[in-house]
Amino acid sequence: MFHRYGLVLASTLLISWPLAASAADTIKIGFPIPLSSVGAVYGKPILAGAQMAVAEINANGGVLGKKLEILARDSKANADEAVRVSRELVIKDGVDFLVGTLTSAEAPAVSTVAKENKIVFIAPTSKSTILTDPQHIHPYIFRVASNTDVEGLAGATSMARWKDVKTVATIAPDYAYGRDSIAAFITALKKLGPDIQIVDQEWPKLGEPDFTAFITAQMGKKPDAIYCSLFAGDFVTFTKQATPLGYFKAIKNRLIDGGEIGTPDEAQALGSDYPYGIIGDSYDPVLWSGNEPPAHKKFIEDLKTFTHAQYASGWSIVGYQSIYALAAGIKKAGSTGSDAVAKALLGLTWDTPVGERTFSVKSHETYAPEYWGEMVKEAAYPFAVIKNPELLPKSFQSTN
Amino acid sequence: MSPSFLFSQFMGGLTTAMFLFLIASGLSLIFGVMRIINFAHGSFYMFGAYLAWQAVQWLHPTGGRFWLAALLAAVGVGILGAVTERLFFRSLYGREELYQLLFTYALVLILGDAAKFIWGTDQLSVSAPPALAGSVQILGTTQPLYSLFIIAIGPAIAFALWWVLNRTGAGRMIRAAQMDREMLDALGANVATVYTVTFALSAFLAGLSGALVTPIQSIVPGMDVLIIVQAFIVVVIGGMGSLWGTFWGSVIYGQVLSFGILIFPGFSLFSVFALMAVILIVRPWGLFGRPL
Repeated sequence: MFHRYGLVLASTLLISWPLAASAADTIKIGFPIPLSSVGAVYGKPILAGAQMAVAEINANGGVLGKKLEILARDSKANADEAVRVSRELVIKDGVDFLVGTLTSAEAPAVSTVAKENKIVFIAPTSKSTILTDPQHIHPYIFRVASNTDVEGLAGATSMARWKDVKTVATIAPDYAYGRDSIAAFITALKKLGPDIQIVDQEWPKLGEPDFTAFITAQMGKKPDAIYCSLFAGDFVTFTKQATPLGYFKAIKNRLIDGGEIGTPDEAQALGSDYPYGIIGDSYDPVLWSGNEPPAHKKFIEDLKTFTHAQYASGWSIVGYQSIYALAAGIKKAGSTGSDAVAKALLGLTWDTPVGERTFSVKSHETYAPEYWGEMVKEAAYPFAVIKNPELLPKSFQSTN
Repeated sequence: MSPSFLFSQFMGGLTTAMFLFLIASGLSLIFGVMRIINFAHGSFYMFGAYLAWQAVQWLHPTGGRFWLAALLAAVGVGILGAVTERLFFRSLYGREELYQLLFTYALVLILGDAAKFIWGTDQLSVSAPPALAGSVQILGTTQPLYSLFIIAIGPAIAFALWWVLNRTGAGRMIRAAQMDREMLDALGANVATVYTVTFALSAFLAGLSGALVTPIQSIVPGMDVLIIVQAFIVVVIGGMGSLWGTFWGSVIYGQVLSFGILIFPGFSLFSVFALMAVILIVRPWGLFGRPL
């Protein structure tokens, strides 16, 4: 029996061999992204956005006459795992490009794989400045996301608008992103609101199940307002514990959060427990009252159909933008060689449902602004939405 | 630092402590009776949270019926525990500890993936029961009613467990199994049933704590692994297998965490791990444990 199966297997392999070789007509994109563990909350919608972009591009004839294909692998939001699956994608699966990763732990690690193998790598979400700072940049790394300096400036701009706020406290997860985002906020605030004092800083760990002690310690310092970088499940837990302690009441809901808590993903999880009146942000407001661009409206309708979701995710946009950036780069280069595409991406401007993006020639990133605004209740939805989403910061001058 | 500020820090620490005790009590119980270090205890806790969310959706999608949902979840996890014990753990007793460790770790991975398969990866949330959603003013501080409830239920569970173990027939059997399994077997008692009941009780406690945590925490994949580390620290501080050790270990953990962040604001976990390190050096068997 075993031998017969062995024979069948061997002949199947032989038959499929030429087929595999002819697959050179497709452009293979390796996509390491968290599909399990806590990070999957974001990983899945980001991948869905990318897959929708691929489906659209292929339906329109592909790029340079070739179809795009995504090979997704679970990076488990872990740097070692992301490196392992990326190496495998490059060496075993022979992917032409890498797009993906979620956290600022994974992206810089995968960036080294891209550098070693001379393969273009586009990071959709990692915000930490170290990804593309002068010590770590190389010809093949590109970032679609905002970075922590941009986010901190936007947060400080918003904070300085509250003229009667004199004391501010911060709370952020204790790892690269949290530390960088708070440092950037404080640097920007020193310029925009020089009289404002930072009276307290709390650093709960990422995934902290119990924020009570941090919340009461912070309330003890009696700040006028809070700048917060907690996100996802952490923000949900934090809110549920802070509300009954009177935290939001004590600061009159003057909390600004730069961790994309303005997405419907986050708002749906909290439902009526959401602290209405705080200021949140999102790459994509999704539910957009008022001045919604028509391209965005179409994008969300398509996304809802593509993902079979009642409300679309606020995270899919970055995966979608990343694939279109890559496609634009390949088109401009007229080749799928990473050296040519990397050169083509420098200074490249491409269109997205939330406006144009351009890769800086010097730092390979877009300094993308995000949509910020007060989180309010709207009759049409059983959860909080951003009121009058505003792009912040208006402009950004890189110090790099 | 005003007295009311110190009081709210103290109460915060106590809430943390009693939650950890609910989880750690079951962990300590299994270790005490069966000498099994059950990594999957956190997974039972996570299933308690997911089942509570599921039960709320079934019973009353707009919220409410929280208590019934929590009880259903805890019983459900208790049954899951009993089934797991019957099917798998039974063949592991008396084997090398390494096998048990590997098996419970495998269980963590399997149950983690099962939860993802059933409930997906979105963060879920359950609203607090309306009666306990508010807060009261005590000594000039705002105290959530739900926290006060947790602070009350911790000692209640501790006394209930103590009573069951020390004042009932079933408890006598469990303690006998803890002391000398072979002798109990030789006396004609059904040790297998004792083990199943103990395991189910431990899983019930894990499920209950998972269900009770839902009004103040998000339900996310990975919550199982996050909690198990803290629960182990508590059990190590208090002494493996000691009920009151686990109780006081939790209280100390909560207060050290709560006041530790005032002293080392940038290093929230430092004080807790420093405490564990000191205890492991000075009293490796824990505060209330006995030297092995």
